[in-house]
Amino acid sequence: MICIEGLQKHFDAVAAVDGLDFDVPDGQVTGLLGPNGAGKTTTLRMLYGLMRCDRGHMEVDGVDVVRDPQGAQACMGILPDSRGLYPRLTAREHLRYFGQLHGVDKASLEARIDRLIHNLDMGGIADRRTEGFSQGERVKVALGRALVHDPNTVLLDEPTNGLDVMGTRAMRTIIRQMRAAGKCVLFSSHIMQEVSALCDRIVIISAGRIVAQGTPEDLLEQSGHDTLEDAFVTLTGIDEVAR
Amino acid sequence: MNAVFTVLRKELIDGLRDRRSMMSAILFPMIGPLLISFMATTATELQRKSHDVKIPIVGAEQAPGLVNWIERRGYQVVEGPLDPEAAVRDGAVDFVLIVPEDFASNLTKAHTAVIKLVLDGTKKDAVASISHAYGLVEGYGHMMGRLRLIARGISPQIGRPITVEEVDIASERQRAAHFMIFIPMYLILAAFITGMNLAVDTTAGERERQSLEPLLINPVSRLSLLLGKWLSAVVFSCAGVVLTMASLVLAMRRVSWQELGIQLNLGAPEVAGVLLATLPLAFFASGAQVLVSSFARSFKEAQTYISLMVIVPMAPSIIAQLYSLGNEWWMAPIPVLGQQVLMTEVISGEPVSLLSYAATGLSSLVLGLLCVWITARLFTRENVVFGR
Repeated sequence: MICIEGLQKHFDAVAAVDGLDFDVPDGQVTGLLGPNGAGKTTTLRMLYGLMRCDRGHMEVDGVDVVRDPQGAQACMGILPDSRGLYPRLTAREHLRYFGQLHGVDKASLEARIDRLIHNLDMGGIADRRTEGFSQGERVKVALGRALVHDPNTVLLDEPTNGLDVMGTRAMRTIIRQMRAAGKCVLFSSHIMQEVSALCDRIVIISAGRIVAQGTPEDLLEQSGHDTLEDAFVTLTGIDEVAR
Repeated sequence: MNAVFTVLRKELIDGLRDRRSMMSAILFPMIGPLLISFMATTATELQRKSHDVKIPIVGAEQAPGLVNWIERRGYQVVEGPLDPEAAVRDGAVDFVLIVPEDFASNLTKAHTAVIKLVLDGTKKDAVASISHAYGLVEGYGHMMGRLRLIARGISPQIGRPITVEEVDIASERQRAAHFMIFIPMYLILAAFITGMNLAVDTTAGERERQSLEPLLINPVSRLSLLLGKWLSAVVFSCAGVVLTMASLVLAMRRVSWQELGIQLNLGAPEVAGVLLATLPLAFFASGAQVLVSSFARSFKEAQTYISLMVIVPMAPSIIAQLYSLGNEWWMAPIPVLGQQVLMTEVISGEPVSLLSYAATGLSSLVLGLLCVWITARLFTRENVVFGR
């Protein structure tokens, strides 16, 4: 469960995030949708405690992010914007390193790593060094190390970026599995089809403000269009800029 | 505390698998012995050369007294070449002494007799043997002068109003320490260079390969992360210093120091003392490198800064040598300079108090920790984390 109230962030004179209010409930997949530069990554970075907000309140599973960033980080699994790996470590060692940093005890850590390697279909690459991994393999490792401590809340920043068709499908399966397990999933994207294929709820932001939120059906109704893509274009006001 | 060990273990594994890190940690210690062997061999050669000097004389039959004088001093007199100048120019001989035909008659008449010394002033490697020849002829001349005065009933002392007597208070071991001045230098460099790759790779490298953001998301304090990274560089640096010391000792065992007139005692206590003096420098060296690297956006940038930085810690010791400062109390806590003073004392065989070790070591540890703490503070800043 994530609660965000009145979130604001300025870079110099530019308002990157300008008063966001939304909740992300457990057992649902929520999509943070918006064009490039809308403030999605900045919002997530504030939520996982690497950026300070100028104003506002954020809670993850009841933990205040600003007051106790480490406490909040402990309940979150995060696939951030940059997902660099250590080329000289194996996939399994990545998962182990992050599990240890999260303080997962030795006995359950190895079992959890094995289960994740199975779930993410990483059996073939688990004990290879990550140097030379394909984009899809790299994202799997990055996702694996984000989930190794079995977090209740999962933040994914453009998780399908750079993935091919098979990779994208695999990622969707994983996200659906997490929903089935009752987790709170928030992912950001600028691709309409992806969000519509997965999300129970959608939050559309543009220029740091929420322009619409609700179920996909709600959004169609609000915009008066038949397809979500048209709805997205109208709601974010991209078409006005284009004209 | 657990997180520190987790990071330390991961960085050590990473470093051991990194060819670049291992190269600098192993290659640097191997170059030292080569330098020593080269220096010692050259020095021994020069020494030997000056003893084996053959004295080529043209017209030796004119000056049997001089020949006798030279031969009694262990040198060999040989027949000079027919064309002395050509022989010196071609490098067949370093110099030639020419005794003119009027030499004997000038001596008998108590005039000043001339002996020509043909040499090439541009040949630096001939300087030693030429000065030997010069000294021999001068010495013979002085002796003849004294004999002339005595023959006239005058004390030779009349003609020598002043004489200089050298009192060299440097012990043989101190002279050895002077000769060995590069050992402290080399060990100090080892502390800086062998851990450098890890210090850079774990900070600037982490940012370059975009793994810094995922790492910082973990619920671990910045200080714990950086302590682990710092300690991994310290481990490499210490291993590098020990390896360097070991290979230097092995190399020096093979040099015949007696021949160089140097008494070099590098036994277990001295080796232990030198290591005790140098190892804490790793704390400071790695700390400073971690701090500097955190300003760099890429591995290459960090390396540029750090190679420049190696000169900064060297500055105090270079200044101290230029002004030949001795051992002052304020030197101990200055990293590098403190270590250098300590090591020079140990190698000279002077007693070193535990307090000096403590002052030097603790200061490096504290300054290293301070660097790590500042870096940890920097890593909370958004522009440092995201490299903007």
